[in-house]
Amino acid sequence: MTATSRRPPADDPRVTLDEELGVFEPIPPYPPRTEREAEFYSLGDGEMFINMGPQHPSTHGVLRVVMKLDGEKVVDLDPVLGYLHRGVEKLCENADYHQTISQVDPLEYVSSLFNEWAPVMAYEQLLDIEVPRRAEYIRVLSGELNRISSHALFMGWMALDLGGLTPILWSFIERDEIVEMLAALTGQRMLFNYFRIGGVNGDLNHDFMSRLGDWMTRATQQIESNLTLLNENEIFVRRMRGLGTIDSETALRMCWTGPNLRATGLPFDVRRAHPYSVYPELDFDIPTRAEGDCLARYLLRLDEIKQSLRIIDQCLDRMPDGPIMAKLPRLLRPRPGRAYAAVEGPRGQYAAYAISDGTDQPFRLRIHDPSFIHLQSVGLLVPGHLIADTIAVMASLDPIMGGVDK
Amino acid sequence: MDPVFRRRLEARLGSKLSGPVRQRHDTTEIRIAAADVTDVLRTLHDDPEFRFTFLADLAGVDTGTVMQVVYHLWSDVTPDWLRVIADGLSRDDPRVPSVTFLWKGAEWQEREAYDMFGIVFEGNRDLRRIYMPPDYTSFPLRKDFFLADDAARSPGAGVRHMEQVHVPRGAPPASAVRRIPG
Repeated sequence: MTATSRRPPADDPRVTLDEELGVFEPIPPYPPRTEREAEFYSLGDGEMFINMGPQHPSTHGVLRVVMKLDGEKVVDLDPVLGYLHRGVEKLCENADYHQTISQVDPLEYVSSLFNEWAPVMAYEQLLDIEVPRRAEYIRVLSGELNRISSHALFMGWMALDLGGLTPILWSFIERDEIVEMLAALTGQRMLFNYFRIGGVNGDLNHDFMSRLGDWMTRATQQIESNLTLLNENEIFVRRMRGLGTIDSETALRMCWTGPNLRATGLPFDVRRAHPYSVYPELDFDIPTRAEGDCLARYLLRLDEIKQSLRIIDQCLDRMPDGPIMAKLPRLLRPRPGRAYAAVEGPRGQYAAYAISDGTDQPFRLRIHDPSFIHLQSVGLLVPGHLIADTIAVMASLDPIMGGVDK
Repeated sequence: MDPVFRRRLEARLGSKLSGPVRQRHDTTEIRIAAADVTDVLRTLHDDPEFRFTFLADLAGVDTGTVMQVVYHLWSDVTPDWLRVIADGLSRDDPRVPSVTFLWKGAEWQEREAYDMFGIVFEGNRDLRRIYMPPDYTSFPLRKDFFLADDAARSPGAGVRHMEQVHVPRGAPPASAVRRIPG
């Protein structure tokens, strides 16, 4: 009997898990459908397949990677996605404009404010709304805080994936303070549901401001002291240097954005390349590094944290008075049209493309997620390295599976 | 809006454009036929007066009447996003040339559009489903795919299950499918 005939029909409810052909068998039980699949699933001399995931702790979620190995060297790999696919885009087409904000929240769940920001900006373009300046400043302020918390978590994860257990505990201290701060502002710790079409949900309050002021006085010093733990660790640095190197031209062809692209030397940042919100008024630098390896990607995020702190300082200085919401009807019916809006998230360009057909539900909402784009380059960076380095390279790209799988 | 850029587009791509160059807010929009995708995108990418080296997004769209593939590009020659719409793909057999020869990173985005809409990208060497399981038969983001709990439309369309074949068996009445005018 062939493998294909033993497979039960797709909608058969009697599929049991103790079947011989497990769900996570590395070799798919059907003939290859594409050129690339045929090439990948044919073994050379002395090669073997091994499955990593989908429950592997270093895959940052539920990602399955089929690796073709020669000894301990990775020859090729094939990421298998979809274990976390929730069909957010379809759900958004069946929800009204306000409801979609809470639908897109859990995509990149460590930086939820950016998930909300892009669709909200696209809707505002569809509706031709001007957002009050105070709301814009609050968005930038909370967004930069979210960026710092995301980068802090990245640094901990990075070290954890290389086998160091301590840094993640330290970075969670950092993250927890910011998350508590944002909870005071938005009401929730993780999926904030804070941005609204035309403004934000709540004004700055005393609890938030006192926590923020408290944290800002020691933030720089505290982050620096956390960093010495890793940056001066010879094992860590030598492990990361020269690993997963990519040049800027290839990175552009792979559609990279964000810190990963800037680590190859291109100063592309959506906040400057295509300015939005009040970023043109704020003074900050775009750090870049020329090496394009894992260490550069890691160090670049540290530089970004410092720039974010500068932006937060300026926001607090210049925070204008005024309303935090534009005047809008409850039920939004934008004129038929299309709008594209992109923000610079902690992982890169996070964008939304919205189409309106004149009803109260978006006709189509496309979410462009940087994690998805970066993850596909793993197959380009890894071949030739060891299995343990695969994990390091993947961690340095900082993919969040919630965003990859939508 | 960047009127200079619009005139430059019209001068360089004039014959390839189907319809006028539209501009709104910070976006310039052009429409082309599916057959011209390779030519137009290569021109935009390589020509020193355009330099659109950065593919910001690639999305499939089902308008209810036709399929479209929408590219968003960025370049340092204009402050606008450039939206290129490959228009008029048939809903029964949507085909469009792949852009992986310019941007290797478009591969997964094209796989996603194939998975969700059934758009076939000719030249993409790895065009298989990416989110849905490999034995799945329908294309979830198409407008004739109704959610099971979409009470406003599904009972009239007689839809019982979320998964349907390419064209649903009790084909829904035309009025049940949402459409946009192009």
